[in-house]
Amino acid sequence: MTEFAVSARGVTKAFGGVRALSSVDFEARWGEVHALVGENGAGKTTLCNILAGIYRADSGEIAVDGADRELRNPAQAIEAGIGMVHQHFRLVQPMTVAQNIHLGWPDTPAVITHRALIERTQRFMDEIGLEVDPTARIWQLSVGEQQRVEILRVLARGARVLILDEPTAVLTAREAAELFEVIRGLTASGLTVIFISHKLREVLEVSDHLTVLRQGVRVITRPTAGATARELARLMTGEERELGVEHRTVTGAPALELRNVSARNDRGIRALHEVDLTVRAGEILGIAGVSGNGQTELAEVICALRALESGAVTLDGTDITGRSVRAITDMGVGHIPQDRIGVGMVASAPVKDNAVLHNYWTEPFCKGVKLDRHGVIDFAKRLVETARVQTRSVFATAGQLSGGNQQRLVARREALVADRVLVAAHPTRGLDVNAAQEVQATILDKRDNGCAVLFISDDLDEIMLMSDRIAVIYEGRIMSVFDAADADRERIGLLMGGHEPAEAGV
Amino acid sequence: MILADMILALIDNAFLSLVGSAIPASTVVLLAATGAMLGERVGVLNLGQEGLIGIGAVYAVIAVLSWGVGSPWLAMLIGMAAAALAGLVFAVAVVVLRANQVLVGLALALGGIGLSNQLGTNRNGTPIGTLFREVNPGGGLDDGGFFEAFLFHDPIVYLAYVAVPIVLWFVLQRTRHGMNMRAVGENPAAADAVGVSVMGSRLGYTVLGAALSGAGGAYMVLSFTPIWSPDIARGRGWVALAVVIFASWRPGWVVVGALLYGSMISLDTTAQARGWDLPFFGPSDLSFLLSMLPYVVTLIAILIPAGAAKIGRRVRATAAPGALAIPYSREDR
Amino acid sequence: MSSTRYRLTRRLDADAGLATMTRVAGALGAIVLVGLLLLATGRNPFRILIDAVDAIFGSQRGIEGVALRAIPILMTALGVALSLRMRVWNIGSDGQFLIGAFAAVGVGIHLDGPAWLVLLVMAAAATVAGAAWILVPALARAFWDVNEIITTLLLNFVAVQLVTWSALGFWRDKKAAVIQSTRQVPVELPDLPGTDSLTIALLVPFVIAAGLWWVFRSTTIGYEIDTIGGNPRAAGFAGIRVRRRIMLVMLVTGAIAGLGGMLQLSAPGAQALNAGFSAQFGLSGFIVAALAGASFAGVLGGGVFIASMFYAGLVLQTKGLSVYIIFGMYGIILTGIALGEIAARYRLERVDGAVDGDAEVSGGATLEGATT
Repeated sequence: MTEFAVSARGVTKAFGGVRALSSVDFEARWGEVHALVGENGAGKTTLCNILAGIYRADSGEIAVDGADRELRNPAQAIEAGIGMVHQHFRLVQPMTVAQNIHLGWPDTPAVITHRALIERTQRFMDEIGLEVDPTARIWQLSVGEQQRVEILRVLARGARVLILDEPTAVLTAREAAELFEVIRGLTASGLTVIFISHKLREVLEVSDHLTVLRQGVRVITRPTAGATARELARLMTGEERELGVEHRTVTGAPALELRNVSARNDRGIRALHEVDLTVRAGEILGIAGVSGNGQTELAEVICALRALESGAVTLDGTDITGRSVRAITDMGVGHIPQDRIGVGMVASAPVKDNAVLHNYWTEPFCKGVKLDRHGVIDFAKRLVETARVQTRSVFATAGQLSGGNQQRLVARREALVADRVLVAAHPTRGLDVNAAQEVQATILDKRDNGCAVLFISDDLDEIMLMSDRIAVIYEGRIMSVFDAADADRERIGLLMGGHEPAEAGV
Repeated sequence: MILADMILALIDNAFLSLVGSAIPASTVVLLAATGAMLGERVGVLNLGQEGLIGIGAVYAVIAVLSWGVGSPWLAMLIGMAAAALAGLVFAVAVVVLRANQVLVGLALALGGIGLSNQLGTNRNGTPIGTLFREVNPGGGLDDGGFFEAFLFHDPIVYLAYVAVPIVLWFVLQRTRHGMNMRAVGENPAAADAVGVSVMGSRLGYTVLGAALSGAGGAYMVLSFTPIWSPDIARGRGWVALAVVIFASWRPGWVVVGALLYGSMISLDTTAQARGWDLPFFGPSDLSFLLSMLPYVVTLIAILIPAGAAKIGRRVRATAAPGALAIPYSREDR
Repeated sequence: MSSTRYRLTRRLDADAGLATMTRVAGALGAIVLVGLLLLATGRNPFRILIDAVDAIFGSQRGIEGVALRAIPILMTALGVALSLRMRVWNIGSDGQFLIGAFAAVGVGIHLDGPAWLVLLVMAAAATVAGAAWILVPALARAFWDVNEIITTLLLNFVAVQLVTWSALGFWRDKKAAVIQSTRQVPVELPDLPGTDSLTIALLVPFVIAAGLWWVFRSTTIGYEIDTIGGNPRAAGFAGIRVRRRIMLVMLVTGAIAGLGGMLQLSAPGAQALNAGFSAQFGLSGFIVAALAGASFAGVLGGGVFIASMFYAGLVLQTKGLSVYIIFGMYGIILTGIALGEIAARYRLERVDGAVDGDAEVSGGATLEGATT
């Protein structure tokens, strides 16, 4: 066995003329946790996708255990001993855990029965030391359990190198701690774990070596021992960054109020349980929580995109429950949706049409059924300019914009709509530092101008930075609400994992 | 009273003769629906069934009349091979080149109808001598009752109604291969990530499905109506696509759906044979009404599961494969 | 530079102008392929082309023949093009066309009155009938999420049976000896000045195309339909009543096709209905709409083009080309269009060599999707 489990030399990859990786070298040793850190867009996932045979490098070589390997597809990568767990799980929702583990696997018996698959799955779980109900269908599982299925699937196939792409992004604090234990157990038995993250705290806690990527180039590879978060942050961004936010305590009448609100999700399962919340004009209420605990439904309920099962929503004292999207938008409620491409814009339509998506029916654009084309174009041009959206013209389709530009467009558009309330769901997710800071500045500006802001994020650091008050959501319930001054990171972390205030020591 | 007579027909042994004639009448639809379902289970919607039936039929005719093929089996294989070739062209366009499945599917329907009609031009009305013969178990079972309804068909009927559905069910539900196949139709990215060849299974099953549809066409001229006539499919390809929806992509229910269609067809025959009549209408009017019935019933059959799901507030209206008609490319997500 | 390689990359979203060009190129490529096929079967495609051009442009009769066929093709094409703006596939325009004609005949042979009144009622009846014929698929699509492709198509067969029944049964012209058809409608549309055989029906598709063009250029309704077509969830986000708009578009689509049936029926010499009345105008219209994409002006151009082919095909039947070849040709052209459409999404890109300084914004979506 050679020293390096995997090594890549001079790997280059471009997408649509833009370089994602430029001649990157990378090595990971046997039996170590190797963290791959960098900003969004630094090329971490691209590099790992190449190692896992998902993408093919434009140039460069990859060696596994010292021998050059051609990794044309995921099957060859698995054969070479490399398996990857993606950030977005590659599981077939209507199938069972046992079926998913046996998918596409030559070792699966040619003729199968449910029982045989379940027995085999149980055996792997015993060997590897991970437990999930093998008969459950994927959609019935929590995110943490789904991740375990992915890891099981890779390890059952004999992977010796396990790549985890942002594995903790969707986990509670407790689930993350459990995952780290699993990782340590694996490396103790000689496996290599490559771990993508931009959460420096975790990287320093769990890794042995780390590699920093910036804009598709390797900046450094070094032992984790002795590294500091501050130093890594500088290496990742190439600059010191600091966004000073002054937290405020706002009193006065609530602008937005939710009383006893319950609602169901798309599957018909109750996603919000008797939620009570108030947001005052001129404050940011942060909603802290792990993704998928009702945040999306919360935003949709406020913006009239989802029906309430019970309860009421009021805006400046007026009951707006059951009003139409139009009516609520006209009252000055803006919404930066979580899924900006899927919900917040029309990728195939020009930028100009997307610029007015949430107010095209209002003056001055609309007179009767007539839409003022020139007015729309002028408005879009101004919006593109103030939001600093980089585009060839307002006639180019929104799908041709980069993700950061799409987000800037949607954020500024909604900020203009939001006279009274702005609901921002994960508004900086997937953005690089500069774009994220611009969006944050836009939101802070709205607050300073007297808008009530509901700020949803699963990044606790960002919640702590932005919010004047913080509400913690878990399984559709508001666990507790803090003033920013009293907010304690540990306690919020526990509450996000569903530990009752009593247990959490409140 | 006609309604009473119809109801009587359903309960006395005329029901059996109805089923007995429905079985061969729906074999073409059944084979095409099975072929369409096969492609759809791996995520490829092939709207070209009408054309594939035509191609399968005309090449079986050519095999018998021009190439002197003396075995109906061989003629059917030739029809299937021709349809498979057309299916391959379709599959390359939509799977490899990722062209729009609806457009290319319609193109296949049109092109197939045109091609088969053109090739069949000189063979209009020539009887086809090489036919499948019915299986006769003997023993005096041809009593016009139960046994005659379900026995005494030709071998293709048994293959289409029994062997193919059972094999398909087994492959889909009880084999590793079938599990991988279903994954390709549900979530190709997931299947790809674990090394299932998305392109391979989509190409393979689209072509195999086309061959089955071609077998339906060949059966048409080798047994059901042993003579070539233009537009031979007469809408059966479209009905087949509807049957797949009605069946919620399950092999067993495809059989039920095809029989439902066949019963509507043979109701017309039964009506003529029994001299049914309608008040206020002329004698031939019932026949016109009944000729609309298969399409209307098929339409209603599609609406029933969707409507029931909506009314019952189930979220997933149908069991359509999750990635149906969506081209897959590994590098764009 | 010798190390420079090129390869195709794909993007999520094609430039509209480029896509139109590649679609047309695909269609032309398909026609060349048809020519080669004719050549391979021993026919001279150039001879056929010359004959066709001569048949069309050699006389006023030829040009008017094309215009006459263009009317039904344009009407169905406009309806389909409208539905395609919303990504709704109305494959049932043949049926709606037939039912429009059926309703018009029903009015025409039963209503006595001044010709203008009869014609107006015929047009109204045809419009309503065409819309009614798509009502069930529209309701199913809007409220039960039932895909409209098969439902609209199945109703074509019902329409054919109904029309056959009327021609052979309840409205049969007892005096007609050869072709079995319905009785003749006694009125016809006013002639178009300066032509021998055309009526003012020719103006209707142009008026409708202009109207649709205006709706999509300058109204919120057009904006909403485009938004639903582009991203139904974004339409919901913007508060657009998606179901109402689906109903509106599908009913109008059927109405236009139905009116097309009435126009066809009131052309001189065609004032009765028979089983072969439609001649698959709906399919021709579908191809025109697919070729034109989102552009109504494109529909007009494409419609005239396909009508020329259709007419040439009819004329050339006498020279040994069967009508079936037209069908086969349609299939090949449609494939060419589909491939052309997809071609616009690919672009040739340099992999190696000098560093690309201008990391342009297009293709960014792919990049974002690919990196973290």
